[in-house]
Amino acid sequence: MRYFAYILALLAGAALSFEGAIYGELGKSIGQLETSFYNFFMGSIIIGLLWLFFGKGKISYVVEAPKWTLLGGVLGVVYLTSIVISVPFVGVGITMVAVIIGQLVMSMVIEHYGWLGSKNSRINKEKMFAVLSMIIALVLVN
Amino acid sequence: MGIFMILFTLLGGITLSAQSSINGTLSRKAGTLETTLLTFLTGTLFLAIFIVFFSEGNLLAILEVPKWQLSAAFLGTLYLLLTVIAVPKIGVIATSILGIIGQLVIGLFIDHFGWFNSLVIPLDLKRSFALLFMMIALYFVYKGNKRSSEASPAKSHN
Repeated sequence: MRYFAYILALLAGAALSFEGAIYGELGKSIGQLETSFYNFFMGSIIIGLLWLFFGKGKISYVVEAPKWTLLGGVLGVVYLTSIVISVPFVGVGITMVAVIIGQLVMSMVIEHYGWLGSKNSRINKEKMFAVLSMIIALVLVN
Repeated sequence: MGIFMILFTLLGGITLSAQSSINGTLSRKAGTLETTLLTFLTGTLFLAIFIVFFSEGNLLAILEVPKWQLSAAFLGTLYLLLTVIAVPKIGVIATSILGIIGQLVIGLFIDHFGWFNSLVIPLDLKRSFALLFMMIALYFVYKGNKRSSEASPAKSHN
């Protein structure tokens, strides 16, 4: 099951790349903000249907959950908006490198301190090497 | 202006990892599909407000664009759903690194073949080395995770 989660995370990234390339084209005809809206709107419908048929959790938990755990959607919008604004100024390459470095460093900090309800797992040498290798890879791609 | 933009974009990356952890936490109590649905619904509401005030494009042109361009919505959904499933199992950093590797590898292929009308950038030696470093990162993230969970076996079952 653990290996399976690793493969799912890889697939998630692959989906994101296809999505980016396709939405790049869509953005040219209907606009960037409109493309993001389309993505979230359609996504709500797709997941809404899946949830109706296969939802096993407890949606009513959202009214009792701590409010900060409901911020996922807003953060996704901040992410999208920052990319849309930055690309025309510094280009896609630098934008992606900056986003990914922000993401990796923050992931390490979050996990190290166990913030935001994530399971607390100390930074170790291996994780530092992993982040370092990713940064080298990013520089080589650009 | 450039430096300011780069800092702003770093913030974008930070919000993405915060989103992964927050959603991972919520999903433990509310469920995977439920968390993903909530993320999409609140995202849609916020973007609707943005569109009303700042829209410069043409949302209605969606009816005229080639249909394959609209298929990406399924991919966006898949990304969020898979992330929500993976974070509670392997942690934020492993999910982030694996997600980025998947993204870069496919990105290199899309560039190489020029799929979806993209600019053709061939897979040269430099980019092949980038692939190699991603494999090294993959190895280290797996090992690092294994070591963390061995060091704190009680916590790893959360």
